[in-house]
Amino acid sequence: MPLPLEGVRVLDFTWVVAGPAATRVLADQGAEVIKVERKTTEFVIGTRRAGLMADLNRNKYSIAINMAVPAGVELAHRLVRMSDIVMDNFSARVMRQWGMDYASLVQIKPDIICISMSGFGHSGPRTNYVSYGPTLQALSGFTLQMADEQGRPAGFGYSYADMAGGYSGALAASIALWHRRRTGQGQFIDISQFEALVSVIGPSLLDLTVNQREQPPPRWHPQEVPAAPHGVYRCRPQGDDGDRWIVISVRSHSDWRRFVAAMGSPQWASDPAFRTLFVRMRNRAALDRHITQWTQELDAWEAMRMLQKAGIAAAVVSNAEDLCARDPQLKEREFWPVVELPGGEKTRMSGVPFRLSGVAAPIRRCAPQTDQDRDWVLEKVLGLTASEREALLKAGAIYLD
Amino acid sequence: MPNLSALAGLRVLDLTDLRGATAGRLLADMGADVIKVEPPGGDATRRLGPFVGDRPHPDRSLPFWFYNLNKRAVTLDYQHARGAELLMRLMESADAVIESFEPGHLEQLGLEWERMHERNPALILCSIAPFGQTGPWREFEADDTVLAALSGMLYVNGYPNEPPVPPLGLQAYHCAGYYGAIAIMCALLAREGGGHGEWIDLSMQEAAACGVEHVAPGYFGMNQIARRRGTLHWAGGFRLGRCRDGWLMHSTSGDWTTLLEWVKGDGAAQDLTEPQWSDPAYRRANAAHLFDVLDQWAKDQSREEIAQRAQTLRLPYAIPRSINDLPRDEQLTARGYFVEVEHPELGRKFLYPGAPYLFSATPWRLYRRPPLLGEHNHEILGAELGISDQELTVLHAEGVC
Repeated sequence: MPLPLEGVRVLDFTWVVAGPAATRVLADQGAEVIKVERKTTEFVIGTRRAGLMADLNRNKYSIAINMAVPAGVELAHRLVRMSDIVMDNFSARVMRQWGMDYASLVQIKPDIICISMSGFGHSGPRTNYVSYGPTLQALSGFTLQMADEQGRPAGFGYSYADMAGGYSGALAASIALWHRRRTGQGQFIDISQFEALVSVIGPSLLDLTVNQREQPPPRWHPQEVPAAPHGVYRCRPQGDDGDRWIVISVRSHSDWRRFVAAMGSPQWASDPAFRTLFVRMRNRAALDRHITQWTQELDAWEAMRMLQKAGIAAAVVSNAEDLCARDPQLKEREFWPVVELPGGEKTRMSGVPFRLSGVAAPIRRCAPQTDQDRDWVLEKVLGLTASEREALLKAGAIYLD
Repeated sequence: MPNLSALAGLRVLDLTDLRGATAGRLLADMGADVIKVEPPGGDATRRLGPFVGDRPHPDRSLPFWFYNLNKRAVTLDYQHARGAELLMRLMESADAVIESFEPGHLEQLGLEWERMHERNPALILCSIAPFGQTGPWREFEADDTVLAALSGMLYVNGYPNEPPVPPLGLQAYHCAGYYGAIAIMCALLAREGGGHGEWIDLSMQEAAACGVEHVAPGYFGMNQIARRRGTLHWAGGFRLGRCRDGWLMHSTSGDWTTLLEWVKGDGAAQDLTEPQWSDPAYRRANAAHLFDVLDQWAKDQSREEIAQRAQTLRLPYAIPRSINDLPRDEQLTARGYFVEVEHPELGRKFLYPGAPYLFSATPWRLYRRPPLLGEHNHEILGAELGISDQELTVLHAEGVC
């Protein structure tokens, strides 16, 4: 069975995380994603063989092109003529300076789809601001709003903004491809990663605009069905790791009865202060103290199994090892596929979160080193002769190894 | 030629509750005819607050509004044989069905995939479940908190030795919704050229795991377990600090020499002038000290001045804002992010968060405000399925719609 995006070619100027996260989705579904890179290695953590960059760039190809010389831009234009989508995540001016903006590219490939994933979009007062995920999380309110119990800002310890930009970019690309297949029409898509992130704040933004209500931090504020107990509770240390936690959500009255039974029907649970959801929410501090006294004697995994058996929404707060090595569900579904590296060594990486008719798209190829596929791109994609390649090298458009 | 709709002509039946509602919303925003099929009492989301003016009513739930803008709605009790048959007839005219029931529930209603596929071979079924359709946890209880815990999202937010801090917004649901929409677009593209519809198995846990960039790659690639470090970003390039007028997001991810010269010029560089700090790996390993020095440097200064100057130096600094300020944010305002949605039955207009991306040819659009309970019963069941008014009255009396 062919993959859904087989036959789609993406010219990928993106770098760091948000853009590559978007083109990863397309590559995983069969698109031929060609990374166009600078020869100098970007500063990253890990390598293309291990860690984040290996994960983000699997299933892709790479060529280094010097966009600072006319022959480099000319080469990129030739690739555009052979491509369906051009993606970048530079600030707005970069592609324009190279003559790689939509207005230029539509002249040479009338049905091209250009997707620009800049930090703030191609218009507005912040259009040229430099940003990374944490910058965007600060400006969109996540950093302050995710306060801890003492009220200290504790917003994401990672770049959720990049992952939100990634799935938004991939969705935009697939919608634009659909439109083009039906009408032959390409277009320009201006993604402000800032707006993509604001778009996933959710209903609390509507509560703010509709009810003019200042939003409390999510720590004390149920974002879905009210529940009590609801939250994070400390568990027994696992070996020398004292950082073990469980989340518990007790919603309905029957949940509460089963939860109390699972705890062994302690005396305190029959106190009228905890009889209904309403009073449990009001007496939350006392309730949480009782529950912590119970959970802190329990192994987090044991507690999860016991509570799930009783039909209670409860879960270990998974750390990397829980997630990647212990979780039996992800293991059974083979969510962490094995990838073979050059030289035969094997590693695992994140899989694809959906399967079509039961089949997960395979990882076909590990991430390329910068410029690894230069000859393949020049010969197989563009059909250049040896002398044409020589001329490109002479003009400084491409590099020797 | 704006005002074309990319997904015009596509029909999607949305049987989901809060957990899966985002996928249909994303498709409706781009022009698909998304019909929310609710039980006669309404989707449970309609009972979820906050409500407009804090007056609980099925047509006043803000979470329902947020997740169901641009959809139409019918009520149908498909536990009832007649209701199930009507749903089957709707499926005959649909391109996709999205559901978020417990695995196996559709089968119990006689609406299993095989039967759908037989009646309409082009139909795509997107099943969004907490843990997917297979595996030992497929029947486990979950809400967004549980999924955030089991995807690695939760463990890494907050301070060492303190409880992990939940994300703002239902981010596990949002990840699942975006990947669901992507999966449907991929299945639609795969169907082109005579293919048939496929059954998509989407695990919300896996989708949420794809919303965290560093936990699994750090484990598989570098044998590391990511921990909570307050607002210090896992890659070491950002941390929140205090200025005299409030919080500031410091960044060492721009050009190091530029930042160092600036701080040195203020006589506040302390030991950062020592040569080892010019090594990015050293800066990352000693990020806590580095940011302590920057905090000392900035603590008596104005954050507005620092943030402004930093941007002119291309250093990705930012002032963390409250989400309460977003409706007045100058960048969002300049790009017309918030859209006015008229609710004629309330005689008012409200500001909604708008487009996550700007398409030049087929823009995101406001088609209709979120549907009232059963608002399109006559339009869809009557005019489109050809059921007479008389029969509709009987079906309504029998509780089928």
